[in-house]
This record gives sequence, C-alpha cells and structure tokens, in this order.
Amino acid sequence: MEKTINIILSGLGGQGILFMTRALAQAALDKGFNVMGAETHGMAQRGGSVVSHLRLGEVKSSLVRTGTAHFLLSLEENEGYRNLPFLSHGARMYVNTNSRHFPREEAKGLLDKRKIIYRSIPAGIMAQELGAPRSSNLALLGYFSAFDEGPINYKDLKTTIHKISPKRFKDINLKILEAGYKKGKEAKK
Amino acid sequence: MVKQEILLGNGAIALGLLEAGCQMVTSYPGTPSSEILPEVVRFVKSEKLDTYVEWSTNEKVALDTAFAASITGKRAACCMKQVGLNVAADSLMSAAYIGTVGGLVIISCDDPGPHSSQTEQDTRFMARLAKVPVLDPSDPQEAREMVGLAMDISEEFRIPVILRPAIRVSHARQNISFGPIKKNKKQASFEKNPQRWAATPRFRLVLHGELNKKLTEIGKKFENLSRYNFHNLESGKQYPLGIIAGGIPYSVIRDFLSEEKRIDIPVLKIGTPYPFPESLAIAFMSACERVLVIEETDTLIEYLLRDRNKVMGRLSGHVPSEGELVPQVIHKLINNALKELNLELLQSDDDQEAAQLVKDLELPVRRPTLCPGCPERAAFFAIRKTRPKAIFTSDIGCYTLGLNLGAVDTVLDMGAAITMASGFYHSFAQDAVEQPIVATIGDSTFFHSGTTGLLNAVYNSARFVLVILDNQTTAMTGMQPTPALGIRADGSEGKAIPLERIVAGCGVDFIEVVDPYDIKKTTSLLKKAVKYVKDPGGGIAVIIARHPCVIAYPDRAIPQKKKVIITDDCVECNFCLDRFECPALYHDTELGRVNINREICVDCGVCIQVCPKGAIVEA
Ligand code: SF4
Ligand code: SF4
Repeated sequence: MEKTINIILSGLGGQGILFMTRALAQAALDKGFNVMGAETHGMAQRGGSVVSHLRLGEVKSSLVRTGTAHFLLSLEENEGYRNLPFLSHGARMYVNTNSRHFPREEAKGLLDKRKIIYRSIPAGIMAQELGAPRSSNLALLGYFSAFDEGPINYKDLKTTIHKISPKRFKDINLKILEAGYKKGKEAKK
Repeated sequence: MVKQEILLGNGAIALGLLEAGCQMVTSYPGTPSSEILPEVVRFVKSEKLDTYVEWSTNEKVALDTAFAASITGKRAACCMKQVGLNVAADSLMSAAYIGTVGGLVIISCDDPGPHSSQTEQDTRFMARLAKVPVLDPSDPQEAREMVGLAMDISEEFRIPVILRPAIRVSHARQNISFGPIKKNKKQASFEKNPQRWAATPRFRLVLHGELNKKLTEIGKKFENLSRYNFHNLESGKQYPLGIIAGGIPYSVIRDFLSEEKRIDIPVLKIGTPYPFPESLAIAFMSACERVLVIEETDTLIEYLLRDRNKVMGRLSGHVPSEGELVPQVIHKLINNALKELNLELLQSDDDQEAAQLVKDLELPVRRPTLCPGCPERAAFFAIRKTRPKAIFTSDIGCYTLGLNLGAVDTVLDMGAAITMASGFYHSFAQDAVEQPIVATIGDSTFFHSGTTGLLNAVYNSARFVLVILDNQTTAMTGMQPTPALGIRADGSEGKAIPLERIVAGCGVDFIEVVDPYDIKKTTSLLKKAVKYVKDPGGGIAVIIARHPCVIAYPDRAIPQKKKVIITDDCVECNFCLDRFECPALYHDTELGRVNINREICVDCGVCIQVCPKGAIVEA
C-alpha cells in the first residue's frame, strides 16, 4: 500500500479554495490516486477562514489529523499560520503573501525545528497584474507545481485546469498558472 | 460504460437516489444538504431521466409532497438539513404511522461543529422519536449504497427511512465510479383507503401497533446486515478494549487502526443505529472488557447499550458532549482510554507546540462578513442609522451577518424575525412602552416561514417595521431560486409570485419597495415607515429592500461600476469600518487613512454615501 499524501489548503472565503481543491483532486485522480477530501461550505464562505483537506491514497476518512499533513497551500498568510498544527515533520508550505518578512519571526523557530520548508509568492499581486485579481489560487498552484515536490506536477495541472475551467476563463487561468509556475522555477534556481 | 468522477458526498447521494429509481426528489436548501438536489438535476439531465424535482418552500412542504408520491407507489425522497427536519417533524411523525407504499427516503444532514447551523442536534434521535429506521453512512460511497438500501427497506416494510449523512459525508469529495442509470417507469396509482390515509385517533392506535411490529422485523434484518453492521473479533478471543463506532468516527478510527496495524483493538461498526442491532452489540461487548463508544453527535448508541458498566463514552465523561469529533480529538480519546487501561498507545508526534504558537501569534479572528457590494449591508446601514435604539430581530441567511453591523439582535429559527418582533411588541405594549422594533428577513426565509408569522402579527395588531431583504436568491446555501423568480429547480419556468402580493395578502397596508444601494432613499422610506407604525391608524410597515445578490448576479447587481478612491480628507475616524464593514475597506497604517483592497472591491460605490467627511469619492 502506497503511503497516503495529506494536503491542507487554506485561505479566506471567496479566494477560490474550492476550485484549487478540485483542480488538485482531479489531477490526482487522473494520475491514478484514490481521492478523499473535505471542504468548507456555508457561512464561512462569506469571508471567514476556509480550509480544505485532501488525502490521496487508500483512506476512508476525509479529514487530515493534526501533525500529519505533508503540504500546506495557503492563499493568505495568517490562515497559513493558523493551520500550522496540521503539518508533519519535514512538511512543505507555500503561502500567498506580499510581505517581505515572511515567515513571521515568531514562527521561524518552530518551522525550522520541525524542518518545515516554507516558500512564499505574491500570488495576489501577480493575478491582479494579469487582470484577474481573484485568481491568486491559480498562481499559487502553478508556483507549488514548479518545485515538483508533490505527487502532481505542472503538466498535470495544466491539463486539469484546461479541462475544468469554464470556457471564458480557460486562457486567463492557464496564463496565471504559468506565471506562478515560472515564479517558482526562478525561485528554485 | 463506467465513468469515474470526483463527487461531493451530496453528489454520491444524488447518484444513489437515481440508481435506486427515485422518481421524485424534493428539498429545501440548507447546509450541509444543499447540493443534493442540484446534483440530482445534473444526473437527471445527463442520463435523460424523468425524475420530478422541486425546491419546495420549506421542509414540511417537501416531505408532504414526497410522501404523497410514495403512496402512489412511486419512489420518492426529500432532502434537508437537520434543523429542517424540525420543520418537517409534524409530517414525519405522522408518516411513520401511516406508512408508505413506494420507497420514501428522508435525507437529513447533520452538522456537528456546528459549522453552519443553529444546533448540533442529532438526526438519529429524531428517527428514534418518530420510530423510523435510520442509516448512518461513513463516507460518500457508503452513503450512495445506503440510499438504495433505505429505498428497499422503506418499500419492503412500508415505512419511511432516514439517511443521516454528517457534514463530513455530505461535503467530502471522493472518486466514485458509475454506469448508466435506468429509468424507473412505475406509474402512479392511488387506492382509496381513508382508514389508513386519513386515520382517526382510534385507528392510529392500530397503526402504532403495526409500526412497532415493523420495527421489530427491521431490527432482525439489521442484526444480519453484515455489510453495514460488523466487527473484526477473532472468535474465542477476549480483548481488554473494543471500540463501537458509526458514521464519520468509524472512518477515522478505521484509518488510525489500519495505519498502525492495531488488530488488538477490535471495532464494531454500526451502520444502522436504529433499530439497533442489539445481539450483535451484546456479542461484541461480551468479548471486550471495556468498550469505548465514539459516535456523532449525541448518545444514541450509548443509550441503547444495556451494559453501561463496560462503556466508556459521553455518559462516563470519556467523550466530549459538544463539538465535532475531528481526527485529533478521536486520536486523543482513544489514547486516553488506552492509557486508563494500561494498554499500548497509538503513535503520536503531534506535539502541542504548533497549537501554542498559533495562540501566541494572536492571529486575527476571521469572522464571516457580508460580501463586498452586498446589498444587505447597505440596508442594515440605513436601518441602524434611522432607528439606532430599535430592537433588531432578524433571521437565518447571509444577513444574519448584519450582526457585525450592530443591526441584528436576535436570531432564533426560520421566520422568527417576524414572530419575535410581534412578541417584543406585545411585551412592551403591555407596559405602555413604545419600543422601536425593526425586523429583517431574507426573501427565501420569508417564503419558507414568514407568512404565517406575518398574518399572525397583522391579525393581532402588532406594530413594527419589517424589512424584507430581497436579493432574489437563497444566497447562503448556494444561490437556489425562490418562488418570486419563477425559475424552478431544473431551470424550467414556473409561475413567479411577487413578494408584494403575498405581503398584501397577509393584510399589510404599508408596502414600499426600495433599492438599498440608494441609502438616502432607503433612510427616508424607513422614516416614513416608522411614522406609519406610530400612527393611530397605522400598523405594520413592510419595506422590500430589493437589489440582486452580487455573487448570484454579478452583472446585474452592479450595472454601473464606480471606481472609488479615498482622499486625504479621511480623518481615520474608522466610521466606515465600524458601521459599514465592507471587507474591501481597511485601515492603512502606512498611509494614515482608510484604503481599498482592490483584490476584492467590486466597485459598487455604496461606500461613497457612508463617509461623514466625504472622503470616499468616485475616481
Ligand atoms: S452572497 Fe449575496 S447576499 Fe450573501 S453576503 Fe454576498 S452579496 Fe450578500
Ligand atoms: S466600492 Fe466601496 S462598498 Fe463597494 S465593494 Fe468597493 S469598498 Fe466596498
């Protein structure tokens, strides 16, 4: 049995967490993973803290237990911190923030101690510059895929985004995904 | 051909309904059940079925309607959230006695947490109260299968059956394979039998006896339903600790134990908590010295286990009695029990450091707020401005978030904005106190439960201002249409019923319609309404604040975009932040004034009317 991969996606209601979750889930399914996930609907979608859980592998339960997530993608910095308890030793986190002081000094100690690798991208600004201010989710996804640390790579995501985007958003979505990916490639160098 | 799709639990349930040949599905939207009906519609279209679907005006209406279909011999279902079942309770209790002909399945989704509900109530207890069977799925795939079982049992025993998916089933996503779905061609027929369909109390006693017999028979069936009720005891072996679980907790526990290969802890899974498979439980308990019971949300299984001395659960203080049982909580519960019994613990590298860090970071609490551009915000702003001293009774929907604007004081249940306004009026009037009262209710909530309260208030001479926040959709639950729109669940045309006509029909003589985006006009209309309420010849004044929801109708809601900027006239009084609370406005410490977050601003321009210093202007 393959080891389960646990992913947490966080942000604020309205930032497009559900779409991001769907994209990753679909890409994973197309790669042959079993997919189990949990989403937030209802009241919190009106700007409150929103978290999605995604588990790839032979599991029955949709929620990730604290201390066991391998990846955290956060569309907002504070929401990223809020979900730190989910991360396992050696996990990776990717955060959308404009702050040059990421991560906050107080958080560094714990991140280093737990050997959590953290990276940030100004996904919101990038999306805005490309004319789709609400698509920071795609820039973050692209960025995540550039490091090729997870089960899903850029090519997989490109195919999926092409498949699941509504027609009139297809081009712009792919453009923003690519911008995020390029940013990640640069950072990797 | 078999397809594979990642479905929401609610999608899997929809699929299960159609695979079971369901010919009618009715529903009133409510988190976490709202997506079932739209998914039914999607499959009905893609599979070219002719299942009848409707958004009913409320849950009782939904259940009555589906019940009638069932007694014509068709298979029917109705879907709602757990508190919706309270509204449908009248129908449910009686339907249990009368019984069904075609299968009738009630899907009532629970919300432990609660994430989006007034209570954490446990539908399984409603099933017990009504004396109908209840099935408790542990994941989307199982929910899909259980729908079919529920239909079969309902038809075989002529009894309504409840499926209780918790929020983590309804809003889980799982890859599900499915093939083509066959049409159920069963024709409607109604056999007159007033003794049953219109039973009088004398005959109800007989029906009650029949119901009890049915439950005994179903109980026997459940004892042997090894697909959903099973354990992994090795025969002849004794165990120091066993776990009894159902629903979501079962999935979580199963994952823990198989990850760590802990076959020393046997598990009894209960998929049919009522009628309870008692012999199975007795056999399991006799092989275990102690038994940890982990169920959501209340103590049904625990109550039904006879040998309490062995049980570790909520009644013994081992399991918390409120809140969702998330994996880390369950993990801890199991370890606490193992520790108490000096057994080997489950592994855990979950140190408390991260949780402590999050506390120390003092992260801002992100409370939900009305969307940028939301018309209800504008209405609340005007209401609070005109009647600062009023009691604000309100209701259930996005606009409950008027709380943040200080324009919501009470929220009880669907429709209580009006009924409580009445109650407040009479309580103060009795003391000869003229207490201003402004009630706010959404359009969909008004259709659901507003009219009876309004009729009552008018009839009994209450006085208050009622603002119907008409955003032309059921926004909170995902933009389902309301009867005012004349669009039905499947997108087809229905007859539109304007709110104005209903309000007039309730006997209200003061009815005005306004666009709340125009705060000035709304304010002056509110003043007029207040005058009418106070006037000796006056009464209840109703204002319909009509403006489309910005999420449901992004184009129509903001026909003329106004790009707003904030000038240096801003004196940092923060009035706009406190009273108007558009999430796109924030205090920018670097600039020394309020600023706009362009990422989320929708250019509605309403905030221009809010700033007392005139610092918010169109660019
Ligand atoms: S979804 Fe519509 S009604 Fe709800 S808060 Fe947003 S704009 Fe207002
Ligand atoms: S224009 Fe003003 S009120 Fe409208 S969304 Fe932007 S900041 Fe909010």
